[in-house]
Amino acid sequence: MPFPTRRWWAFLCLLCLLAPGAAQAAGYLDELVGRSRELRLSERREWHRLMHYTRNLITPGVHSLADARRFFLAPDGKTNPQDELEATLAAFFSDAQETQETQNPQCAFISRYAWLDRELAFDPARMTKQTCKRFNEWRETLNPHGITLIFPAASLNNPSSMYGHTLLRIDAKDQNEKTRLLAYAINYAANTNETNGIAFAINGLLGGYPGMFSIMPYYLKVREYTDMENRDVWEYELNLTPAQIDLVLMHVWELGPVYFDYYFFDENCSYYLLELLETARPDLDLTSPFRWWAIPSDTVREVVKQKGLVKRTVYRPSNATVIHHRLELMSPDERALVNPLARGRATTTDAAFTGLPAESQARVLEVSYDYLSYLRASGKSSVEHPDELARNLLLERSRVGASANDPPVPVPAVRHDQGHGTSLLGIGGGRRDGLNFIELRGRPTYHDLMDPEGGYVPGAQTEFFDFAVRDYSGGVGARVEDFTPLRIVSIAPRNEFFEPLSWKIDVGWARRRLADGAEPLVFGVQGGPGLAWTVPDTLRSKTMVYAFLESTLQADTRLEKNYALGIGPNIGALVDFSGRWRAEPYVKGQWFFAGDTDTPWIAGLRQRYTLDRDWALRLDLSRERQEKQYWNTVLLSLHHYF
Amino acid sequence: MKKILIAVVISAVPAFAFAQQNNIGTCGWGAKLFDGQSGLVPQVLAVTTNGTSGNQTFGITTGTSGCTQDGVVRSTWKTAMFIDGNKDRLARDMSIGNGETLDSLAHLVGVREEDRAAFGRVMQANVSVIFPTGSTTDDSVVALKQVLRSDRELAQYAASI
Repeated sequence: MPFPTRRWWAFLCLLCLLAPGAAQAAGYLDELVGRSRELRLSERREWHRLMHYTRNLITPGVHSLADARRFFLAPDGKTNPQDELEATLAAFFSDAQETQETQNPQCAFISRYAWLDRELAFDPARMTKQTCKRFNEWRETLNPHGITLIFPAASLNNPSSMYGHTLLRIDAKDQNEKTRLLAYAINYAANTNETNGIAFAINGLLGGYPGMFSIMPYYLKVREYTDMENRDVWEYELNLTPAQIDLVLMHVWELGPVYFDYYFFDENCSYYLLELLETARPDLDLTSPFRWWAIPSDTVREVVKQKGLVKRTVYRPSNATVIHHRLELMSPDERALVNPLARGRATTTDAAFTGLPAESQARVLEVSYDYLSYLRASGKSSVEHPDELARNLLLERSRVGASANDPPVPVPAVRHDQGHGTSLLGIGGGRRDGLNFIELRGRPTYHDLMDPEGGYVPGAQTEFFDFAVRDYSGGVGARVEDFTPLRIVSIAPRNEFFEPLSWKIDVGWARRRLADGAEPLVFGVQGGPGLAWTVPDTLRSKTMVYAFLESTLQADTRLEKNYALGIGPNIGALVDFSGRWRAEPYVKGQWFFAGDTDTPWIAGLRQRYTLDRDWALRLDLSRERQEKQYWNTVLLSLHHYF
Repeated sequence: MKKILIAVVISAVPAFAFAQQNNIGTCGWGAKLFDGQSGLVPQVLAVTTNGTSGNQTFGITTGTSGCTQDGVVRSTWKTAMFIDGNKDRLARDMSIGNGETLDSLAHLVGVREEDRAAFGRVMQANVSVIFPTGSTTDDSVVALKQVLRSDRELAQYAASI
């Protein structure tokens, strides 16, 4: 094998001429390189983790996921672990002084230094050990004691936030449960100023943004998730030793200036956080299930699955969750005051308020203030001077000495990581328009409204790449029944306090009957806004009724004018007869007014019976009409989640 | 007499004095992070895609940037930054006399366990002083310091702000 780092030797020899004692350094470097080869350090798992090497897809060999040139010390370091290791050793002899802009290599690559020092036991007499002042101060500020994995769950009316996000929190020694806000959060995210959501999404899918680590006070993230976006947060305290925690910190420090091409679906926030944890615990293999598809909530499940890794979990309800919970606890008299107070239509001098006992007054003022904050955060406050109104509510509250003493929001019985598996396989059989069939259904991810709901946000559906294949009797044979790359439904109930819009979108191919009886797979986009309510009690009831105004655009050469544009209603209800048994009666019609004149409709009843967390029975019945032809469908299927 | 004069001067130019001393204006990122996008579509896309706007403030090895050093808040700024980033929650907790945000502030200021109850009471009684109408973070920090200083039990903590 040709000697790969000749350049570096040349460089060091140049140093020999300039600095006395450098010849001795070169001798020691020789020795270290020799030992590292004997020990085959560059083949070790730890080195590959530190360098983020991953196997090439087709060709033999590896490449690092890091995309910043400065992360590599050897010119071919991105693909050559051996060269990179030797160049790293050579760099450690640098006597460069630390400044605000630059660091000595021993400090800039501090986690490599720590590992190589452990393996090779550097002799400080022959290689000066640098004091990394900036790192040490940084570490001192963090005062690390523990690491917690943070997962903000989906928000109420935003099913795609199910996709989620994860971050790490560095818990300090002198903090406790009451002062966790003061900890620091380590976040990995796409670094961009793009404000156009669509451009952002497209670039993100294609790896067009640099992903970088950053660190910020945890309170900023808590405010963002629980107050601005109304997402409940789950905190998973991890079981790590002080030495392991230090490894994470050193590695984060090393990755500070490094960027990785950011891909929303695989090389995203969650993937790199798992890689960080692996650096601390080389015995863990967290990332391999996620080479292609790293959904944050799935990565959380993977962490929870590791024996003994999660010490305990903490639930942090969002502002909206707290408001909802406290409204439920209120007496009708108290509740009736919240809206008028928060919207400036009543004051605390009104008899309805002054007549309340002090404890009730405290409760009403607190919830009114929280509700006003919610309205402001979601841009729904119509008061002219919301600051003043908020301040007045607080001043009134400070004058009421009593305490409301409301119990805290109960921790949900099923955590989001304890819900059904996010992938689905279903097998079933049925009869459609006089023909028997067997059906195979698959969905890589994530959740639909009829799936068992524990751990998921009620009314929120997000599906990617859902498909069904059916084999029909009567000579029709096997065919793809539908294929839906994207389907999102958000059914968010309205009441006197929360007035969200429901909405849905569906992009994909489905069978459509033509006048001649043929049923091609037709591409279509459909969706629209809607409204939903819970019945009969607006705050406590789980039964929801909904109404959407849906539009459809279909495009296919077999359509008379190659396209069809329609609009129509979709109404239905979601009813839980028990924790296991859910039914959804629905009816949906479309009126095609451009490109086509058909008026199709369908009415049906979907039912689900949960057998187990990951098993459910489905029975779907429907009657539909297309091109003046009518038919019935019945389908019984068994769904398995994994 | 001299003391009164100083107090008058301080209360007349609190924002100016404090802002100059701590140069708060250069790192007022609180507001930036909180002008959340409203409307359905941008929210959905931004959240789905884990977006964050790029800035140097929280870069890990970026050296000194505003109130941070290599991404962590410099100790002289800790309290001011906390108040800046938690204004609404803090005012709320103060009006009630307890809560997570107030506990965290007490911790930052170094209030010992035995003084926590008094701290909660004093904050509750002075929420209107600490958050006057249209107040800036600077005003609140200065007012908090004054409130602590004028309380017999809590005066010892005024110096740590």
